[in-house]
Amino acid sequence: MKESKVVIIGGGATGVGILRDLSMRGISALLLEQGDLAHGTSSRFHGLLHSGARYAVKDPGSAAECIDENLILKQIAPHCISDTGGWFVQTRDDSPEYVEQWTKACANAHIPISEISPSEACRKEPLMSKDVLRVFEVPDATVDGFKIVWANAKSAKRYGGQFKTYHQAKRLIMENNRVVGVSTKNLLTGEEFMVSCDIVVNASGAWASHVTGSIGIPLDVICDKGTLLAFNQRLFQRVINRLRPSGDGDIFVPHETITILGTTSEFVDSPEENDPQEEEVNKLLEIGRHVLPGIMKNRVIRAFSGIRPLHREDHDVPGVNKEEGRNVSRSFALIDHELQDGIQGLISIVGGKFTTYRLMAEKVSDRVAEKLGSMTPCRTATEDLLPVIPEHLHKKAAQLLPYAPVEKMLERLQEDAESVLTEIQRDPRKGQMLCECEMVSAAEVEKAASDEDTHHLADIRRKTRLGMGTCQGAFCTYRALPLLWDKKEKYDALQDELRNFLNQRWKGIRPVLWGQQLRETELTRAIYASILQVREN
Amino acid sequence: MWDGIIIGGGLAGLIAGIRASERGKHVLIISEGAGSLTYSSGALNFGDVVQLRSRENHPYALIEENVIQAGMDYFQKLFPDYQGVCGRTQTLFTPLGSPRTANIIPSGQNAAVLQDAKRIVLMAPEGMKDFFSKIIKTNLKICYPQCIVDIYPFRISAFEAWHAIGKPVTGMEYARYWQSGPGIAELKRVLAGVTITCSETVVLFPGLATAFSEPLKEVLSETPFPVIEMTSFPPSAGGHNLYNALKQKFKSLGGELLMGTGVQRIELQEKECRKAIVSSKGRPTAFAAHSFILATGGILGGGIEVTAEAAQETLLGLPLYVPAEWTKSEFLGEQPYAHTGIEADSDLRPVDPGTKEVLFENLRVAGRMLAHWDPWTDNCGGGVSLTSGWYAGEKL
Ligand SMILES: Cc1cc2nc3c(=O)[nH]c(=O)nc-3n(C[C@H](O)[C@H](O)[C@H](O)COP(=O)(O)OP(=O)(O)OC[C@H]3O[C@@H](n4cnc5c(N)ncnc54)[C@H](O)[C@@H]3O)c2cc1C
Ligand SMILES: Cc1cc2nc3c(=O)[nH]c(=O)nc-3n(C[C@H](O)[C@H](O)[C@H](O)COP(=O)(O)OP(=O)(O)OC[C@H]3O[C@@H](n4cnc5c(N)ncnc54)[C@H](O)[C@@H]3O)c2cc1C
Repeated sequence: MKESKVVIIGGGATGVGILRDLSMRGISALLLEQGDLAHGTSSRFHGLLHSGARYAVKDPGSAAECIDENLILKQIAPHCISDTGGWFVQTRDDSPEYVEQWTKACANAHIPISEISPSEACRKEPLMSKDVLRVFEVPDATVDGFKIVWANAKSAKRYGGQFKTYHQAKRLIMENNRVVGVSTKNLLTGEEFMVSCDIVVNASGAWASHVTGSIGIPLDVICDKGTLLAFNQRLFQRVINRLRPSGDGDIFVPHETITILGTTSEFVDSPEENDPQEEEVNKLLEIGRHVLPGIMKNRVIRAFSGIRPLHREDHDVPGVNKEEGRNVSRSFALIDHELQDGIQGLISIVGGKFTTYRLMAEKVSDRVAEKLGSMTPCRTATEDLLPVIPEHLHKKAAQLLPYAPVEKMLERLQEDAESVLTEIQRDPRKGQMLCECEMVSAAEVEKAASDEDTHHLADIRRKTRLGMGTCQGAFCTYRALPLLWDKKEKYDALQDELRNFLNQRWKGIRPVLWGQQLRETELTRAIYASILQVREN
Repeated sequence: MWDGIIIGGGLAGLIAGIRASERGKHVLIISEGAGSLTYSSGALNFGDVVQLRSRENHPYALIEENVIQAGMDYFQKLFPDYQGVCGRTQTLFTPLGSPRTANIIPSGQNAAVLQDAKRIVLMAPEGMKDFFSKIIKTNLKICYPQCIVDIYPFRISAFEAWHAIGKPVTGMEYARYWQSGPGIAELKRVLAGVTITCSETVVLFPGLATAFSEPLKEVLSETPFPVIEMTSFPPSAGGHNLYNALKQKFKSLGGELLMGTGVQRIELQEKECRKAIVSSKGRPTAFAAHSFILATGGILGGGIEVTAEAAQETLLGLPLYVPAEWTKSEFLGEQPYAHTGIEADSDLRPVDPGTKEVLFENLRVAGRMLAHWDPWTDNCGGGVSLTSGWYAGEKL
């Protein structure tokens, strides 16, 4: 089947960014994602919109890219970003020489920093260690990965871009040293088919070498696993970084009502090795204690791991040694395989950061446009990601729903809010919060359950945040069942959906199973094993 | 001075208190919360007693087999509204309408008559929370292929105002309403509306719990068809009713119940417990007794607290059995952490897991505090709490 000029493999931030960019230039593109959107690293990160300060010393190029993109994204996607600001704090264990080096490097990269007194800092962040020596403010912010990925996909769609989730690129098809298509498998039906195109963009992150490997082209991608912890509370009002050369467990990032702490770094053999381990959790708690002395008193609701795809462009980068993930540059690499391997019609994009996804997409799209002879320039740096939500929808929502959930819902749903609100108007019961922790209405879950690109309970969770709150899905998962049921042709048997969902959540809970979390787990097991009699196979 | 103080008023503590009071003991139960019975459906599972007894450390293996039987018989004598036979299971319904089993269940939940039914009428109360009639209907059709399944939607005036603003009515609220005077009349009216199209009709009713209510049982005895109550998603009326009945029984036997405050510590003298210290309005109050029963409910009940570093028994710091491996990958499969608890001798007195030496002469441990079992994979949550509680009360 010939669907579009370009096929993009990978539905993380980078892939959807490319889809949007190309679609805005009028270049037809189809994105293939093996899971749901943001199934890979783009949902398994801190959610820090870097100011670049973290890279100022070691990787000034990256730092400069970050601050530029930071400012752009705050402009074009304010609804996905919370402009919290960030601090770099020097504790007694951190070297003063490094502080000097760092302030200079920030100035060189044009990252605005300003020092504030430790006493003022402690007043503003009462849970922070009183032992900090120096504190600097930087323009860090936080970003909602799911939201921005979906916002890109929806925007692309408005411009004619297409994406298919649960579609895996199995093999690239080559003719006379030119890639002419992708052999694709629909993972839900098992059906295999070929998609032909002029150019394939490989944006499959940590999987990138698997994709090129299908035609025997080597790509040097290192899988660097990082584990993160999610605390049940907003512990800080802003991002808190340790002011020292990047190390484990030294960034706290607040999101809404939770806080993320990370990360560790360890090379692994495959992108699928993303189970968080107890040792990693212990390491994070141990290091995090320096900034948050009361760390043990706070409830950890889950641990999760992401894989950084690091591109080792330069073969003499020191240390293929497993501990040295952080020393490989995080700036990205755009590889035109025509130039590198003599294969036409294939571009890979590897490395980078979430913060720089737009820039990466721009560079790739420029190259694609050039190859296809398109002269339309990139507009993603200036055009808003979110369509303007019309005033009448705000009004309607405010009449029908309690205050707190309204804006969140509108931002998640964008233009789809209209139909959800109409449904609530028709049947007020659907305005009830199905997920009481995250304030998601029954009507919204119903909408997510019936979307054509939703195939599992976990997809609904990602779209709506259902089950992400403190009850960890014990109650709301049950309440979502009738909505799955109404669309049962799409879903597995309820028992299987439930079991799979619970087991996925369990992966993140296992390494942090103590305190209140453990009590909650006991109750959840009781409800599902006893009251509902769900059984492992 | 009390004969016995029981710490923890869940299933285990209350049964212990009832049995001890009945034996003429002067007993005080101090309980911080209501315990896990209020979440449960009120059905009690005993599991495969013979197989579980063959496991070296299982709580059932601590006591004689006839004690387990005796505990079960005792319970049914206490509460004739409950029925069951040791070693045999009864069928009842999950909130999703699939059949499940338990050993002792409220008679009203017994689904046995469905074997011979030709038609099932599923009552569907308007706006009932956590009740999904379509799913239930399909599950019923799978399990009872010989039956026609009809959904019978109805609404009652008492909740009209709720429906108007889209406020859901929980199963507990429905169940409570049916127990009221107007509710009983309304229930009669609603059931009278069900038409019988074939003689083997059975009615399935969510959000109704008749155990311990004479008027409700009478209403159901007069219908021309059997009515089966469904269990519900927590919190549930079935569990609440049992919990309330246990409390009432205990009080009617002269027991005293101190609710809402936790015991903060136990005063000790050598190998004996002396006093339970409770803080009321900021001031510590001491209650002295000859013996004590610790029935504080394990991890869920609050008797065991786990931090990132260690697991602790919260009151006396009793040594715990803690498995080396904490979890396994299948959430609803076997989970080693669930086995965390206190090891005990055949008298249910706590022992040191290493030396097996008895730690306190006048303290017994019951229910979820005991080590080496998992209510969900062993399928014996109620069974262990009931029998160990009964035995502790017998020995007090
Ligand atoms: C622990 C950790 C913390 C981080 N913190 C930050 C941070 O705070 N700020 C920041 O800016 N960056 C951070 N990063 C980096 C950032 O998360 C990543 O750089 C970014 O998410 C990568 O996006 P991507 O789209 O390139 O890759 P991914 O999001 O991994 O997307 C690749 C997608 O391709 C799909 N795919 C793979 N193979 C196939 C195939 N054959 N067919 C179809 N689909 C396929 C995958 O399923 C996946 O969804 C962090 C990274 C880690 C690991
Ligand atoms: C959702 C759910 C469904 C269930 N379904 C079934 C079923 O279908 N079949 C079955 O057989 N079993 C079932 N059970 C299991 C059964 O209900 C429990 O095993 C049993 O009730 C436990 O009783 P317990 O007395 O040992 O503990 P609990 O009921 O937990 O009671 C412990 C009590 O001790 C109190 N306490 C704790 N610390 C202190 C202190 N310091 N001072 C004073 N008081 C204190 C607590 O507040 C609590 O009231 C279910 C349980 C749950 C949660």
